Amino acid sequence: MYLPSDSTSLFAGKSFLIIDDFQGMRSMLREMLRTFGTKNIDTVTNGKEAIAYLEKNKYDVVLCDYNLGSGKNGQHILEEAKFRGLIGLATAWIIVTAEKTADLVFGAAEYMPDDYIIKPVNEATMKSRLEKVLAKKEMLVDIERAASEKDYGLTIALCDKALASSKTNATELQRIKTCTLLTMGRYDRAQQEFELILAKRDIPWAKTGLGKAAFYKGEHARAQQLFREVINENPAYLEAHDWLARSYEAAGELEEAQRALARCAELSPNSVIRQKNLGELAHKRGDLETAENAFRKTIKLGQFSIHKSPVAYLGLAKICSENDNPAEALQILKDTCKEFESAETSFHAKVVEGMVYSKSGDVVNARKISREVAELVKTDDSHRASSVMLEAAQMFLATGNNEAAENIAQTLVKNNHENAELLAQVNDLYSQAGMSDQGEELVKNSRQEVIAINDRGVILAKEGKLDEAIRLLSDAHSKLPNNKRIMVNLSNMAVMSMRKNGKNSDMMLIVDECLRQVAKLDPQDKWCAQLRVALYALPA
Amino acid sequence: MKNSIGILINFLESNLTELGPDARDKATPMLYEVKRVNDNLVQMLAIYKIGNQFYPFDLTENSIDDFVREIVEQNKTLLDYSGIALDVDLDEGLTWYFDYELISGVISHALNNATHYTKDKLRLSVKEEGGELVMRVEDNGSGYPGSVLEAGDAVSKGVNFSSGSTGLGLYFSSMVAKLHKNRGRTGGIFLENGGNLGGSCFILRLP
Repeated sequence: MYLPSDSTSLFAGKSFLIIDDFQGMRSMLREMLRTFGTKNIDTVTNGKEAIAYLEKNKYDVVLCDYNLGSGKNGQHILEEAKFRGLIGLATAWIIVTAEKTADLVFGAAEYMPDDYIIKPVNEATMKSRLEKVLAKKEMLVDIERAASEKDYGLTIALCDKALASSKTNATELQRIKTCTLLTMGRYDRAQQEFELILAKRDIPWAKTGLGKAAFYKGEHARAQQLFREVINENPAYLEAHDWLARSYEAAGELEEAQRALARCAELSPNSVIRQKNLGELAHKRGDLETAENAFRKTIKLGQFSIHKSPVAYLGLAKICSENDNPAEALQILKDTCKEFESAETSFHAKVVEGMVYSKSGDVVNARKISREVAELVKTDDSHRASSVMLEAAQMFLATGNNEAAENIAQTLVKNNHENAELLAQVNDLYSQAGMSDQGEELVKNSRQEVIAINDRGVILAKEGKLDEAIRLLSDAHSKLPNNKRIMVNLSNMAVMSMRKNGKNSDMMLIVDECLRQVAKLDPQDKWCAQLRVALYALPA
Repeated sequence: MKNSIGILINFLESNLTELGPDARDKATPMLYEVKRVNDNLVQMLAIYKIGNQFYPFDLTENSIDDFVREIVEQNKTLLDYSGIALDVDLDEGLTWYFDYELISGVISHALNNATHYTKDKLRLSVKEEGGELVMRVEDNGSGYPGSVLEAGDAVSKGVNFSSGSTGLGLYFSSMVAKLHKNRGRTGGIFLENGGNLGGSCFILRLP
């Protein structure tokens, strides 16, 4: 039999922040919390105030209205608070909303609220939800900490322990566990877990998970089939749309991918990231109208969001230029540099500026910008994204600065000698500039150079000359800091050496640096997780 | 609008106590009316969204104890002031997969309805029967009139029920039940007279 619970002691010591633009709601919520025994309650009326309070104080619970009039909405505040670390893992964030939307329920896991309450809010619901959320937070805090510290082995062990001891929050635990397995690259294990869950019940997240495992294993057709099944049963399930688009794109079916992304953006009209993805894909396909539209929306939606991204601004500038509207393109580039005060963005904007002048036939300005960019590249070129450097190479070729183009292209190829897509892009650049022979020659030679070093390292290691091999690849790594194959081989050798001789700070330094660099190049990279598992298994 | 209804319900619930018995008896039905307005608003919004494939159908595993406790506490004030006793019967420790908001909408509506038509007793039972979750809302009133029973039959047989004054709540409940599917089985609603209390009996079955 149910019993009304007495939880005054649970609430008495907790601190609350109420964010609501409506005076009536603020006082109603505050009165409710007082009835529950809470004394420590702050109230604010908008996103700006909320952020200021969150910067100063630590709260146990945040009750946040979704629709706050103009300015940031509740989801924006939550995302900013998480992104900037204004709230800890133990803070419970509850969004209060007039209607349930796909964004709210199926949004990105890392930015989900801990719970949402649909209006009208009444005392009974509020109390029961708060009790549940606080209990859940307490149960999950260690697991979430382990996951955020990327200690995957511990995350899974803790999930298993909690799953064995109680049925509460089983779904949440299973989700964390399977998600961790996917992050670790243990696709077969993850697949088994999903199949076990699905044997009992059709659950969209589990079927989507099964699709993800198939995707990672390269089974694109099977993955697409699973995502389509989820969408058939559950048309607003955003994650399945996202992944369907991703698997179409991976299989080269760009038109289908765009359709899936467009549907997803429609279901999730406030998502900055989805509009941006749609814009990028449409642009890649040459669908300038859709791309322009999507980029304009991205900029508008991003106004209050931490997901605001220069990609949309620069994309829009490129489209304006392609549509023979250089004046607007240049204006957008100016705005971009004002909106994003980062050296990376202003570099990228300058590259685009050179292309805009070149496209509009303004040779004098195009050459001037080209020279400026070449100077910037000379000072530091190791930490820029390959896609930006490709654009820079293209701009150099267009403005007749072949030497600068060649330097960049060589660096790109050497740092990415196993990345077939990028090598093809470099070849394309040169053939578009009418220099296909030079392009092919450049790609071939630069690749050979890196392969030779790597091979020599591997042979040395096989001959047992591990120290020498590590020295060789360390040297190569400092010259080609973004080459993943070198980092992988180097780290494996360092681990091998520690297996033989025990843990050693020099070797750990090498491994840590490689891990950080690979994760920076691709945060999704599965190799990092696998390497961490290997490190975990090392004898002390 | 949701804010306004919320404040109205909250105002009535917290201030009914301060009224004298006569005034309270007159004011209590207002709580039923406001809840009905809210139920209908929720129903229309959900029907619109489901029809346009925008509804974020959120299938989660829910504790039946928590679900029932929340529903009962939401309806406590109205039941207390209307002098109606609610008996609850459930399988303890049971969990089930459903969309919390939608099912809560269906059961709240059924309870609010029953509060209006019962004499003085209600019964809410939630049990597992043959691999399905069965929720029953029963009362000791005079039962459903024939026309409502027919309408109930019609929706449960999948006929698109859209005429008649009792349509919205039934249509909503049936639509919600049918969204719940598992391994080839689909949910449904059923209306009967009799049951444990001899009045009307609303039954929701979820696979």
